[in-house]
Amino acid sequence: MIGVSQFRGLMANRQVLRTLVERDLRVRYAGSVLGWVWTVLDPLLMALVYFVVFTLIFTSREAGHQPYFLHLVTGLFLWQWFAQNMSETSRALLSEARLVRSANLPRELWVVRVVLAKGIEFLLTLPVIAAFTIFYMITGQTQLHWTIVFMPVALVLTFLLSVGIGMILAPVTVLVNDMARVVRIALRLGFYATPVLYSADMAPPVLQTLLAFNPMSGILELFRAGFFRGEMNLLSVTSAVVLTIVLLLVGSVVFKRLEPAVLKEI
Amino acid sequence: MAKPVIEVRNLGIEFYRSRRRRMSLREMVLKGQNSAPNETFWALKHITFDVARGEAVGLVGGNGSGKSTLLRMIAGVMLPDEGHATVRGRVAPLIELTGGFLGELTARENVYLAAGLHGLTKEQIDARFDEIVDFAGPQVKAGMDMPFRHFSSGMQVRIAFALITTLDQPVVLVDEVLAVGDRAFREKCYERMENMLSGGKTLFLVSHSEHDLRRFAERGLYLRSGELKGDGPIDEVIAQYNADADADAAS
Repeated sequence: MIGVSQFRGLMANRQVLRTLVERDLRVRYAGSVLGWVWTVLDPLLMALVYFVVFTLIFTSREAGHQPYFLHLVTGLFLWQWFAQNMSETSRALLSEARLVRSANLPRELWVVRVVLAKGIEFLLTLPVIAAFTIFYMITGQTQLHWTIVFMPVALVLTFLLSVGIGMILAPVTVLVNDMARVVRIALRLGFYATPVLYSADMAPPVLQTLLAFNPMSGILELFRAGFFRGEMNLLSVTSAVVLTIVLLLVGSVVFKRLEPAVLKEI
Repeated sequence: MAKPVIEVRNLGIEFYRSRRRRMSLREMVLKGQNSAPNETFWALKHITFDVARGEAVGLVGGNGSGKSTLLRMIAGVMLPDEGHATVRGRVAPLIELTGGFLGELTARENVYLAAGLHGLTKEQIDARFDEIVDFAGPQVKAGMDMPFRHFSSGMQVRIAFALITTLDQPVVLVDEVLAVGDRAFREKCYERMENMLSGGKTLFLVSHSEHDLRRFAERGLYLRSGELKGDGPIDEVIAQYNADADADAAS
């Protein structure tokens, strides 16, 4: 079956995968002392901006889950990982063209490696989320629920979803000139089509149904479940799981189909 | 008889005639078609041969006859459109030598990275590190902690050559890299290649240098516009190639 053999190939090369991820992190963090700070600063400042806009300027009482700042931080951090996965996987084969041309490795590796490296960067930012959670717990504005156990599930889903979409984006970007542009626009739209700033249950019913078919919507629901009281939208969670699996399968088929053409072009 | 190390069966690969078949979404949406010409040609077709363990094969042919493409498919970094090329055992590709090296990392980090890409564990690299650096020469040895891009291109190739030939893989593919390096280093490269050959490695060599071909290869394969025209002792194949080339020049 397709997908299984690819998975085996990746597992056989996990040593190489580790080397590449380590290299990515080394390049990223060796370049600047502020490496980690940069990863955290961007979503944190954005959270601050949105917080000011929505609670002080629009004075919206119910912009999202409360406390709203925690809602923003959880959403923006996870979204940043996902968005970086999309833009980086679309360049994954092109930016490493020399390596792809000279090493006989399963080509899926280049996609997985990007998602994994960005994932580790994301994990390193989790202490910031934890710090804010502790702060809001001490001040009595929030408490953790047992549903926090869904958080790792959300991370696994984000990983698989990113690999799935990445396996479509990476080869297509090699063959189609302006794909990178399309990805950029799609990401910007996707940001507002995903309940990062707001929560899905605030939307009118029609939009809620539409949102349910955005896999990131359900994933965010799972990710935030433990931080905020409220019903989980089962439809969007189910669709997130189903879409992730579907995209993973579609991704591996597309990747295998386009691989020979990509290797001629690169 | 043992199974051949390299087995190529009815191999074919098709290319687009235009250099770029890159499509543009904007064009596809606006004009409903892709402006890039989609005329194709077969760069290689119906290629079949075997290479046994320990054999040294030289690939001969003019520019654009498909030599490098064939080598890439044997190395597994390009995939055929028909047929297959199977290699039993790992390959040390001396093709794009510095391909796995990154300018911003130090030479030391690069050695570990590139060797890791070829499947060596950290312990295995540790064990061979000194050998690699010694082979690359004293100037390289002094600068192992320098960023790789600060090395001259000749030095970069030295490290890469030293690394790939130290991998100790059973199959060695060589594409025109013997022309690099200064005279002294080239002699060292030749020596190393001869050692590899006498050590029972299988060698597959692409070169335009008759001297190199005669020195290393016993058997020759002759490619002419994507077809396998000759397969025999290297001297005969070179003679066949030269005769064809002279005939082309005369006409």
